[in-house]
Amino acid sequence: MNIVVLVKQVPDTESPRKLKSDDSTLDRAAADGVINELDEYAIEEALKIKEAHGGEVTVLTMGPAKATDSIRKALAMGADKAVHLVDDGLAGSDALQTSYAIQQALGRTGFDIVILGSESTDARTGVLAAMLSERLGVPQITLANKVEIDGSAIKAQRVTDYGYDRVEATLPAVVSVVEKINEPRYPSFKGIMAAKKKPVETLGLGDAGIDAAQVGLANAATEVVDFADAPARAQGQIVTDEGDGGAKIAEFLASKKFV
Amino acid sequence: MRFVLSAEQKLFAETLRKLLADAGTAAAARAWAAGDRAPGRRLWASVAETGLFALAVAEEHGGAGPLPVEVVTAVEELGRSAAPGPYVETLAAAELLGRTGGSLAGTWLPRIAEGEAVVSLAVPYALDADAADLVLDGEGREAAVTGDVRTSLDPARRLFAVEGGGDPTDFGVLLCAAQQLGIGQALLEVSVDYARTRRQFGRAIGEYQALKHHLANVMVELEFARPLLRGAALAYGTPEFTRDVSAAKVAASEASYLAAKTALQVHGAIGYTDEYDPSLWIRKARALYSAWGSPAEHRARVMRAL
Repeated sequence: MNIVVLVKQVPDTESPRKLKSDDSTLDRAAADGVINELDEYAIEEALKIKEAHGGEVTVLTMGPAKATDSIRKALAMGADKAVHLVDDGLAGSDALQTSYAIQQALGRTGFDIVILGSESTDARTGVLAAMLSERLGVPQITLANKVEIDGSAIKAQRVTDYGYDRVEATLPAVVSVVEKINEPRYPSFKGIMAAKKKPVETLGLGDAGIDAAQVGLANAATEVVDFADAPARAQGQIVTDEGDGGAKIAEFLASKKFV
Repeated sequence: MRFVLSAEQKLFAETLRKLLADAGTAAAARAWAAGDRAPGRRLWASVAETGLFALAVAEEHGGAGPLPVEVVTAVEELGRSAAPGPYVETLAAAELLGRTGGSLAGTWLPRIAEGEAVVSLAVPYALDADAADLVLDGEGREAAVTGDVRTSLDPARRLFAVEGGGDPTDFGVLLCAAQQLGIGQALLEVSVDYARTRRQFGRAIGEYQALKHHLANVMVELEFARPLLRGAALAYGTPEFTRDVSAAKVAASEASYLAAKTALQVHGAIGYTDEYDPSLWIRKARALYSAWGSPAEHRARVMRAL
């Protein structure tokens, strides 16, 4: 099975994230780059599918040169090879353009299943899986917390506000995962050393057959008009326990859909 | 000599740091001190899965080592997390058995490499011998515990007298220094965090120079100890190894002990609190200060080598 896992490098969530004042794009130099957390679950699921059904796991990343660190980590976890889509012309691309660029890159790698995290911690649009499946003309299974593959059939549980839906599709398909799906493995020393020797193919716009007029900040369909720092956190709500404290807390948690 | 870690060495250290942070290491250390070894053994198994122990075992016995720089980097992370158990002893025993060879090596090194064996080593006391699958004396021979238990300043460390006793091996001293450096680093970080958060007289206490200077002194000592440690790791297998290891141990002992004393001062009364995590490092820093040879003994070894 040809499993492609989409991995995005994002600024470390531990550090404050910033937009650049000149072009309102993400200031990637301001923070260390790490693998988008949900993508780690996608990598783990890809490896599990490979272990159960055989095949090969390809990591596909679109991002600047320093994203190679994240690619190495994904390879150290056990992926077989990687494709790195890197070109200055891609800088500032929005979700719509990113889905186009990835579609083009997937045209080179081929795929039976594309797995990705349900959203990235930086942009948090959560739309890439849907856009990509539309472009590719294949089924989308989003927000999956359980995936089973049987031949060319894929069954999944999709997280919803009221519980989960059971959905089924036929491969090839695009699957986005949530953090409840598995427990990502830690790379072992052997894995880290083996990753050094795994192939990483670097693709520019021309290599991937991407039309430069359809990507990049200048051609984006969306625009950041304005931005501001998040307001300082206000004081939390204090519940005075008059014998009903537990009920009030449960009520609050239920209103936020935590329970 | 290249002191900078490679991308792979850094990724391995980061991996261990994340694993140990996610695994509830502080709780495992408290349970270990209370005599419940189960969480500590589970942690051991997780650490073993990263392949750490194989790094101290030669290839002929199923390992990938000995790789002193990688092992030192990893043990620094174990120190940083206050992980309980005889990690240093097991890794040092692996290196020792690799040199002494024989049937013990043939039997135990593959098991150590797989992370299946917990080994204690007399230096002269054997740490956590009651939790070990094998206890060795300083010569690398299987040794019996005499039953005499010493309490340590660190309740997560129990020291057992062993027939034959033994002197610390250079490799073990190096690893102890690495553990100390990790402890010192953790104490500096937690102290800096606290100084930024804790407010007195209307401002963060870290804004007062009296605190800044103390914390800066700790950082300077740790920074000076690190190249000695890395240099000693690189000197493995050369005639200078013994001298360099002792220099690293002196510097790491002094730096981590200063970090512990400063952490206690910066934290004020809460620093003495058993329930507060820095106590785990503070007590371990004091216990390790004189373990694997005191600073005075190691200074003397450096002196003799000059």
